Parts: sequence; C-alpha cells; structure tokens
Amino acid sequence: MIRHLFLRLFVIAGLTAPLTPQMAHADPITIEHEHGTLKLDAPAKRIAVTNWATTETVIALGLDPVAIADPDDYLDWVAKPDLPENFTDIGLRAAPNMEALRAAKPDLIVISKNLEMAYDSFNAIAPTIVLSVYNNNRDALPEAQKLLETLAKATDRQAEAKAWLDDADVKFAEYGDRVRAAMPPGRALAITQFVSESHIGLYGKSSLPGTVLAKMDLPLAYQGPVNNWGFAKGGVEILGPRAQDTLVYLNPVPDVIREKVWASPVWKILDFVKNDRVYELPVVWAYGGMPSALRFARLLAESMESGPVK
Amino acid sequence: MTRAINSDMNRFFHRGPSILCIVLALCSVTILIKDLWPFLQNGAGMNALFHPDETDFDQILFHFSTLPRIAMAFICGAGLALAGAAIQTVLRNPLASPTTLGVGAGVEFALTVFLLLAPAALAPFKEAAALAGGMIALGAVYLIASRRANATLWLILAGMIINLMLQSGTQIFLLFNEQYLQSVFMWGAGDLAQNGWDSTQFVLPRLLVGVAVVLLLSRPLDLLALGDDTASSLGARVTILRLLILGFAVFITASVISAAGLIGFIGLAVPAALRIAGLTRSRDLMIYSLLTGGFALLCIDFLVRQMNGLGGDIVPTGAATALIGAPFIILILRKARIMPDQQSEDHHPDQQIVSKNVLSLVLVLGLVTGLGLSLFVSFNGHDFVLLTGGESFHDILLQRSERTFAAVICGAALAVSGTLIQRVGRNPLASPEITGVSSATALAMIIALVFFGFGQRADLMFVGAVGGIISLIILLLLCRKFTHAPHYLLLNGLALTAILGAIVRIALTRSGTQTSMLISWLAGTTYFTRMDEVLIVAGVTVALLIVVIAVRRPLELASFGNDQATSLGLGISGFQFFIMLLAAILAASATLLVGPLSFVGLMAPHLARIAGYRLAGGHLLGAVLIGANVMMVAEWMARNLLYPQQLPTGLIAALIGTAYFLFLAIRKR
Repeated sequence: MIRHLFLRLFVIAGLTAPLTPQMAHADPITIEHEHGTLKLDAPAKRIAVTNWATTETVIALGLDPVAIADPDDYLDWVAKPDLPENFTDIGLRAAPNMEALRAAKPDLIVISKNLEMAYDSFNAIAPTIVLSVYNNNRDALPEAQKLLETLAKATDRQAEAKAWLDDADVKFAEYGDRVRAAMPPGRALAITQFVSESHIGLYGKSSLPGTVLAKMDLPLAYQGPVNNWGFAKGGVEILGPRAQDTLVYLNPVPDVIREKVWASPVWKILDFVKNDRVYELPVVWAYGGMPSALRFARLLAESMESGPVK
Repeated sequence: MTRAINSDMNRFFHRGPSILCIVLALCSVTILIKDLWPFLQNGAGMNALFHPDETDFDQILFHFSTLPRIAMAFICGAGLALAGAAIQTVLRNPLASPTTLGVGAGVEFALTVFLLLAPAALAPFKEAAALAGGMIALGAVYLIASRRANATLWLILAGMIINLMLQSGTQIFLLFNEQYLQSVFMWGAGDLAQNGWDSTQFVLPRLLVGVAVVLLLSRPLDLLALGDDTASSLGARVTILRLLILGFAVFITASVISAAGLIGFIGLAVPAALRIAGLTRSRDLMIYSLLTGGFALLCIDFLVRQMNGLGGDIVPTGAATALIGAPFIILILRKARIMPDQQSEDHHPDQQIVSKNVLSLVLVLGLVTGLGLSLFVSFNGHDFVLLTGGESFHDILLQRSERTFAAVICGAALAVSGTLIQRVGRNPLASPEITGVSSATALAMIIALVFFGFGQRADLMFVGAVGGIISLIILLLLCRKFTHAPHYLLLNGLALTAILGAIVRIALTRSGTQTSMLISWLAGTTYFTRMDEVLIVAGVTVALLIVVIAVRRPLELASFGNDQATSLGLGISGFQFFIMLLAAILAASATLLVGPLSFVGLMAPHLARIAGYRLAGGHLLGAVLIGANVMMVAEWMARNLLYPQQLPTGLIAALIGTAYFLFLAIRKR
C-alpha cells in the first residue's frame, strides 16, 4: 500500500513538474496531521472535502473544492460562503462515495477523525490528511484557525491565509464593539440551540460560539460542563439559572418545536422572555471553521442591533 | 357472606406482589416529599403544588416541570405495564410486549416523518399523528396474522417484520436529515422532561379510557388464558375479545409512547415479574401491574434525574429503564424457570415450484453473474456504467470487491449461523442475534467508539472481539447445566440485545452531530471493511461450514427434539451447545466485519427450508447460497441506488427481507 502511494506521488509529481517550472526548486511541503505526516511535492490544487468546516475553510482560501459532501444540506445549515459553480457531489458526510471521489481526481483529500477508519481507502485515491476541529476536547476557535493554516500550507496560500486572519481579527473586534453597544447592559450571553420541545443545547466555553465570544471579549453565560461537541444538553430547567442573562438561539429551528416551546409556561416565566432579551440568529453552523466563526460574530452584531424577538 | 369476601380479599392480596408494590409506593412518596421539601420549609408547599407564584422561578419550575414529570412517570409506567399484562395474557407469551407488535416502530416512523414534513400549524396534531402511526402498524400486523392456524406465532413474526421495516424506513430518513432529528433521538430514548402539563393532559384521559375498558374485559381474559378451545366452549367470542383487548392495550401504549417516547421494558418486565411472584388471575395481574409499573418508573426516573447534567449530557429515562430492567428480568425468568412456549414448527406445505437441483443451479449462477455485474457495472444516477479499464481500473475493482465480498461473506456466515440456531433450537423464527454474541460484540465496539473515543478500526475490531469472547464465556457459564441450553441462550440474547438497544439510544443522543456514522454502522455497512478482514472472516466461515457439514447427521437428529434424540443415544445437550458455540462465533465474525446486521440470518435459512432444502446439509448450503445472493444484491443497491449517496447495506437487506416476508404472508392467506 505504502509503495503504491509513493509510486502515485511520484507519478503526480512527474506530471505536474513540467507544467510548473517554478516549482522545480520548491521544497516538498510537509504537513503534520492526526494520522501522521504527509509530504506533498507540490501545493495541492484540487482539494476534496468531506465535512462543512473544511468546505468553507477551503473556499475562504480562495480555492474551489473539486468534491464536496452533502452540498444540499450545506445550503440549509451553513448557508455561506457560497459553494463553487462546479464540483462533484460525493454524497453523505458520514460515508463519502469513493468512486465519485476518485472521478473528481483530487490531489488532496481532507477528512476528519470520524472517517479515520477508512483512511487507507481514501489514501489509495489521493494523499489524505486527517484534520478535526471538533470531538477532541479542545477549544474550537484555535482548532478552526489551525485548520485554516494547515490547509493554507498544503495549498501554498499562507499569504492569503494571513491576510484573511488579519482581516478577521479586525472584524471580530469591530463586531465585538457593535454587540457591546447594542446588547442589554450588564448581562451575559447564553447561546442556545433548541434540540426538541423540552430540550435545549447550551453552548459552553470550548464551543465555537463560546470561543468566538471570548475572542470578541463578550461575557458567555454558561461556563459549566459540556460534551465532546462543546455544549450541554438538558430540559428547560437548565435555563433557570440563566434567566437573568440574555438568550440567543441559533437557526434553523423546526416550526413544530418553536411553537411548543413558546407556548410552554416554564418558557414564559423566564426573565429574558418576560423582559424581551431573546435574540435570534439566522442560519449559522455552530460546528464550522473560521468562516462560520466570523459569520456568527457578524450575525450576532446584526441581531443585537435589530433588537430582540417579540 | 363475610367469609366469601374474606377469601376474595385473600385471593387479591398476594404477599409477594403486595410487598413489592408497597415498597415502591413508599419510595415514590419519599421522592415526592424530597422534591417538595424546599417549598415545605419556606411554607410554599401548597403554592408550588397548586398555584405557583408567578414571580418565583423555582415554584414555576416545580409546578410545570418536576411535578408533571413525576406524574408522567407514573402514568407512563402504569399504562405500559397494564398494556403489557394484557398483551402477555392474550398472546399467552410471557416475553411479549407492546413493542413486539410494531407499535413502537410505527409511532417512531410517524413522528419522524411528521417532524420533517409538517408545517407549524399542524403542531397540535403531532401526538395524533404518532398515535395513528402506531395503530396502522398494529393493523398491518393483525392483517398479516389474522385467520391463521397459529395466530400467536404469526402475530409475533408479523410484529417483528413490521418493526424491522419501519425501523429501516426511519433510519433512512434519519441518515438524510440527521441535524433536524435530535428531537427524534431524544424521543426515541424515552426522555420524560416536561415543560408544562400538555403531555399529561394528553395521556391521562386516554389512559383512563383504556384502563377502564381493559379492566372490564379482564374476566373474559381469564377464560382466554385457558386456551382457545376451552374459552370458546365456555362461550367467549375469542377473536373479538382478543382484538378488543389488544386494540385497547395498544391504544394505551401508543398514547404513552407518542407523548413520552419508547420506554419499552416496563411493559415486559413488570407483568412478568408479578406473574412469577404468584399472580395468576388476569384482573389481579392488571391492577397490580398498573400500580407497580407506575411506582417503578417513578423511582427509576428519580434516579435518572439525579444523573442528568453530569458532564453536560442527559441520560434518557427509557434507555436507563431498559438498562436497569434487562438483567433483572433475565434473573427472574431464570429463577422462575419460566420458559417461552416451545414454538411449534410452522409446517409449510412443500411448495417446490422448481426442483432443488434447478434452484441450486439458479442460485449458483445468480451468485456468479451477480458478482460479475456487481464488480463491473455501476449506476451513476442517470446511466449504467460498465467498468472496462482506465487508469485506476485495478483500484476501483479492489475497492468494489472489498465491499462486495464483505457483504457476500457476511450473508454466508449469518446464513450458516441462522440455520444452526433454527435447527438446534427447533424454532423457525430464531436467528443469530438471539445468542447475544453479535449484540455483545457491537456493544463493546460502540462503547469504545462513543464513550472512549477509539477511532482506529484495528482497535475497534480488537475491542469487539474481546466483547464477543466475554459474552461467549458468560454463555458458557449460563449453560453449564445443559438442560435448557437453547432457552437460556434465547434469554441471554434477549437481555444483551435490550442492553445494546439502550446503550445505542444513549449514544445517539450523546454523540452530538455525528450520529449518521453510528446509524450506518449499526445498520450494517461495508464502508469500512478491508480485504484482509474479509479474508479472515471468509476463512472462519468456510472452516466452520466444513465442520458443520461433517456433523450433519447428528444435526439432523438434533432437529427432532430432545426426547427423540436422547432416546436415540445422543448426548444432545453437549452437542447442542457445541453447535450454538459455532453459530455464535459465526455471528460475531460477521458483526466484526460489517456491524450487527441481522435479518439475513433469519431469512436465508427460512427461505431455504420452505424452498425444499430439508436435510441438514442441503439446508446449510441452500441457506448459504441464498444469504450470499441477498447480501450481494443489497450491497449493489446500497452503493448505487441513490448515487452518490450510499446507504448502509444492512438497511437494504432488511428492507428486502421484510418485503419477502410480507409477500409470503399475503400470498399465503
């Protein structure tokens, strides 16, 4: 298998070398990832992505992924940035279609550790790296930034990445100021997602919303224990101790659930409901990469400025 | 007069059940007082109970969250236990429960579809839709099973088929919409969290109506318990009574689980435990079930509430109930020596449409051409594509053959396993998963994956194999007195499967957004298999197949039944155990390769037998051919049907299997 891979790399390098003479003197790119170290002889150009955090990060670097998993649901759950005009749909994120992936002729495949069990199959198609932002008990935002920087290195777009991150730093600060100016004074922000009519997910410190708030220097209401994905789950009673804070919930929320929650007596008694401190964010992917982090910050500022949900 | 009342009272107050019920009731009262204590201390107890102070969040929370939760726990436990008692009496099967009749799966499917497709305006009708789903599932089960000679057996078979079909349907929905369906997972795991009295108001009147009707019918139920012949000679209209009682029992069940989720084990465990404790008359059994079930669930839910919030996650009540209940019920059943009735062989008339030789030839040819088609022809959403060459010809072929052979080998291994179990257990509806070994294997892998974060396939395989071996040892210990080996195995498997189900439901609610991988692995997928693993399992399967073909004559004798075989001088129990061991190893190997895939192990031997393969050797080979063919077709469909989306092979296999049984059932009416 290994020999096979080297042979393939050799062939790829052989094919691309004459086309890009300036690469001839470039050193091979070495990428440390969760499944070892990968050496690329030339920057990757045709990237295949199997989850949305990677999808949006590659697009942010100015590259169009050649193969994308679950593109239709991406529109419902991530919304932005827009997907490229042309790409290969490789099916479900949980089981990307190997043959469709091969047909897309990628020169780099990025998977997360959920698919690590199939690493050899991916690596037989093209050099594969394993990069996960979530499910590893680490803070989401630094991991998302690491994802961006690693992908920038693999595609030789460090300059673009630096520019993007510098710009993001400025924007995070600016959105932070706007939120501070518009948010109800003296309150922390409880960032939530409705799971069912009687269950709520409450984002904690290590989640993407939690780390973005820290970056924007805004107070996060919930500091308690969380699961691997950075949130705590429970009945409406977990909102009790947060009642004096300001509630922000993420979309999408199924209509059925919204109706039931809004009609329930426990919801109506909560201080942030009675005193109009419930804010709604449009669709934003709470398990995304840097673009989703920045989008969350911007939407939060806009939501605060346009006022609470009535 | 007084003596008559006295003896009536004596008959009603049985010691064991009374003590059990009273202890649970006292615990429940203690729980209520403990929850109310803070309010009693500051003199707001009455307020919190009846008129919460609008400005006091704690009072509101108690009144609209804790109190309805306690009420719901009692109502749900009571309803499910009563329904279980009624169903067990009607079906005369101590292992029957509302969920075995497809109601749970029906409600789940309806709720899933409703959540995805219904607009907000329809929100008030959610429970109604769920109820309709459960009733329709029961109706289908009943239509299949009615007017058959062996209605009891067919009812359970039909329930199983409908269950599998609906679960597969639900899982396909889940796979494509995983983000929206967190609430379905929460519901499926049976969580009792409340934020108002809506659910209580929904369930209570329905429960009261159901309880009233079922209790009114409890006297005729005693006649039913004597058996059809006796009952009809006593003038009871057996069929109508059965239908009525079943219908209302399911009505209660569907109402409860559509509001609170699947809390399956109460309906099975409570009545069975009470019966063992000495209750025989059905009306006593029902009244005691009602009370005991209610108090029991209230107590379990209290324990669950104490665990919530630790580590940022919740433990769903239904799953916890199954975890607590499963080992407990097995203990009781073993102690009381209550074994399920020996299920009579359902005699299919010989229906050899073609001769066995022709059929074998067709199956072999089907396998060969199928393999060719599977490897070289694919479907890309618009056209069929023939793989002829190209730069990555060999790589594509390798990947396709990995998956195709994994499926075929699994089909063969499960077919052999199923044939052995059906023959030795003399039960045409038994299947490999009843040994519990595949459940244990899967359980070990899931715990490693979800709770300990193992990500490497080799690690998982190792953990799975260890789990399988441990369960084999347990099996050995359980069966060391060989007298009832097949039944012990069945109970063992039932317990392990229930525990697996519970852990899986907890895992699904815990694993955040990445649930679809779990679902597809649990349904059985060839996505992660590798050639070396396939070869090892193929070697094991072939070796064991040769062994069992070598012992086909004793196997033939074993199929006759204990008495005959023992009188023929065979050490039947030891032999039975040996065969069960082989079956368990095969099931575990298949599970390691693709996950706990099940239906093939039931269907292939069944199909082979009714196709005319009657002698043990032929039965085995016929089943292998059928199992391999079915899995091959399922694998191709799973990879190509919804290109580029890929479904788990096991889901397609289950749909093929259930469709076959439905066809069989309807055609043979």
